[in-house]
Amino acid sequence: MKFLKKYFEKGGKLEYFFPIFEMVDTILFATDKQTKSGPHIRDNIDLKRAMTMVIIALIPAVIFGIINTGYQQAQALGIERGWIDNLFVGMGYFLPILIVSYAAGGFWEILFALVRKHEVDEGFFVTGLLIPLIVPATIPLWQVAVATSFGVVIGKMIFGGTGMNIFNPALTARAFLFFSYPGNISGDLVWIAGADGYSGATALSVSASQEGANAVSLLTEMTQFDYSWWNLFMGWVPGSIGETSALMILIGAAFLIVTKIGSWRIMTGSVIGLVGTSLLTNMFSDYSTNTMLSLTPHYHLVMGGFLFGTVFMATDPVTAAFTNRGRWIYGIMIGLLTVVIRSANPAYPEGTMLAILLMNAFSPLIDHFVVQGNIKRRVARYAK
Amino acid sequence: MSDIRLKKGHDIRIAGVPSKELVSGTSSTSIALIPIEFPSVKPKLLVKEGDAVTIGTPLFFDKVHPEIKFASPGGGTIQKIQFGARRKIERIIIALDKEESALTTEIFTNNSLVSLGKEKVIETILSANLWHLIRQRPFNKIACPEDNPKAIFVSGLNTAPLSVDLELALKGKEKEFQSGLDVLTNLTDGKTHLTLPKSSILAGMKNVDIHTISGAHPAGNVGIQIHHIDPINPHEVVWTVSAQHVVTIGKLFLSGVYDPSIVVSVGGPSVTSPEHISTRVGAPFTGLLENRIEEGKHRIIHGDVLTGQKASMRYYLGSYDTTLSVIPISYERPVLGWIRPGTSKNAYSLTKTFLSFGKSLFNFSTLQNGAERGLVPFEVWEDMLPMDILPNPLYRSILAKDVEEMEKLGIYECDPEDFALCSFACPSKIDVGNAIKQGLELMEKEG
Repeated sequence: MKFLKKYFEKGGKLEYFFPIFEMVDTILFATDKQTKSGPHIRDNIDLKRAMTMVIIALIPAVIFGIINTGYQQAQALGIERGWIDNLFVGMGYFLPILIVSYAAGGFWEILFALVRKHEVDEGFFVTGLLIPLIVPATIPLWQVAVATSFGVVIGKMIFGGTGMNIFNPALTARAFLFFSYPGNISGDLVWIAGADGYSGATALSVSASQEGANAVSLLTEMTQFDYSWWNLFMGWVPGSIGETSALMILIGAAFLIVTKIGSWRIMTGSVIGLVGTSLLTNMFSDYSTNTMLSLTPHYHLVMGGFLFGTVFMATDPVTAAFTNRGRWIYGIMIGLLTVVIRSANPAYPEGTMLAILLMNAFSPLIDHFVVQGNIKRRVARYAK
Repeated sequence: MSDIRLKKGHDIRIAGVPSKELVSGTSSTSIALIPIEFPSVKPKLLVKEGDAVTIGTPLFFDKVHPEIKFASPGGGTIQKIQFGARRKIERIIIALDKEESALTTEIFTNNSLVSLGKEKVIETILSANLWHLIRQRPFNKIACPEDNPKAIFVSGLNTAPLSVDLELALKGKEKEFQSGLDVLTNLTDGKTHLTLPKSSILAGMKNVDIHTISGAHPAGNVGIQIHHIDPINPHEVVWTVSAQHVVTIGKLFLSGVYDPSIVVSVGGPSVTSPEHISTRVGAPFTGLLENRIEEGKHRIIHGDVLTGQKASMRYYLGSYDTTLSVIPISYERPVLGWIRPGTSKNAYSLTKTFLSFGKSLFNFSTLQNGAERGLVPFEVWEDMLPMDILPNPLYRSILAKDVEEMEKLGIYECDPEDFALCSFACPSKIDVGNAIKQGLELMEKEG
């Protein structure tokens, strides 16, 4: 790379494209930047590696999601197919979405880096992979491109880029799709790729489908899909590509917690919030015709996008609360709001996306109260 | 008396740990006093090149506090006064006489020390031109003699990487240390606090409040100890003296003479024989480092690897320096660094993102291991700071130059050295310690 460097450096012919050179160069070889003062030695972790760890944590969910896309199609069409064939079929749907997402997002990242003359941030490597995982396999590719652009530009760049954004860019992209093109991302028709017109309700819509019933028995009585708890946990059900398998997501969660990249406080908090709130709604379910109230916590945990959102999106450190106590509250509130939105809005049973986006907006407020608590402790000491 | 147990922080396992033996340094023909190491001082020279000086002769004074003068660490003739940019006085180099004479001040008996009274003590230290040994918090600068500190703190342990083992440095000097503490108790109406590790040769010290502390670095930082024992509130001042300087003060009062001897540690991956060396303030680095550094390019640091400053062989030991670190300069660029598995030989991280297990010592270099990015607040800062301070909100208030918020969030209790580990561990490569320094400078200016 050294022989190329002179073209990109100040005064070189391609000076303007230095961020691109820098990006490729540091992807191939780690940077040799030196410490100037302060700590003369530094930890080996950098943001590139931290983001890579998130991608590694996503791999089980990605592979499972691809196979499941093929599997669901085979089920819908009534054909027998081995998992390798399912993998290839699934790839045929997943890869185009992934490529479009990386291309659209990468374009904006690099454009902003060139204009602002800073290095290309690695945060997009994660966002670009998250977006394909939280959309159905049938999503039109142009919508992926538009949503990704919206997520990156409006969700991140206008705030100043990595570290400054308020909302998680991937979720911003999904919210954009949800409110602009609801027909392509919700309802019963979109979850099975390659089987046009095939209608299949997700587990969440099934449990909200009848009034005055018991959600769990609605799920077990379902014959079109196997919505037993075990199968929901394993993930052989229709849904957004990466969100269905609780098991694969939990493997990723364990990896993130062990490597200390994902906040265990947020993840634990959000599970506590979800379990606590659904136990509470269970108590009231006898007095209401709202079936969702009767959905037990262990089903809430494995259905819809809750685990995926909690593990990979709520834990985005930039948009989460940034005090330890705040992280607990933030997590608990996400769990709580997920159940509330799922129960209170049967028309759109998935609540995790909105819960996280809402708490993204409130995380500075949470931190404000944590900070006030800290200040009060100090003032109390002072007054003594 | 309290027992402080810290769970946060980290002892960096850097190679080149100084051995637990004390060797005497080579005697040198010249030494230096370095005015720029006192950033709060506006120095005005009292000597010129060619003047004869003794140990303790004032070489310059502070224009802001003319009563504070700075003692010569050696006797001889002023060989050279080096100026830097804008005629800042960088160094005053003294060619040493074979037989050095010394300035003498009043001598006191051991029993009288605890009841000398504040004025007498201040007068004696000022007349010995050694007031700079007494520093204050907040701002970590030379104390102002007119202030009324609410307490005095002495840390009896060092936890910074490769720093001096005080048990070794103070062995055989317990009597002078006790005398020094006795003197210091006069300076405050409040308490004098000495913080020690679980077992210490200093556990028998009298007339002071003894606390024990356990935990990883920064447990030995006096700022962390102050925070847990008697935190600094707005408009309050505490004074601190480093443990070896307590001995210097003790000796001064018992003998009437400034003894500039000091124990320093020399260590780091580039040092062939990392040791504790008994030397003197102002000693040239050549004598301390020559024949100790491996072949190749290295960075010499005066101070520890977390908080020290870049230096070179031509430097001299500063008044507060007790650690010299040498680390290799590396421009190595591992292929695909963001995904390489890493081993305990080539990766050191507080996260578990490398396959580097075990507790072996690590050959750190000057590599930053990444470029600076926008702040992505993983929980590492919180894990490295054993204080009831919220590092992220404080950092943001400093960026916003919000003086009021900084004060509320407790910046007076902070010192850059306490945040050095946060900078070390930060994946976004943000120098939090430097931000704290800027915040404190702003507070001082606005204050």
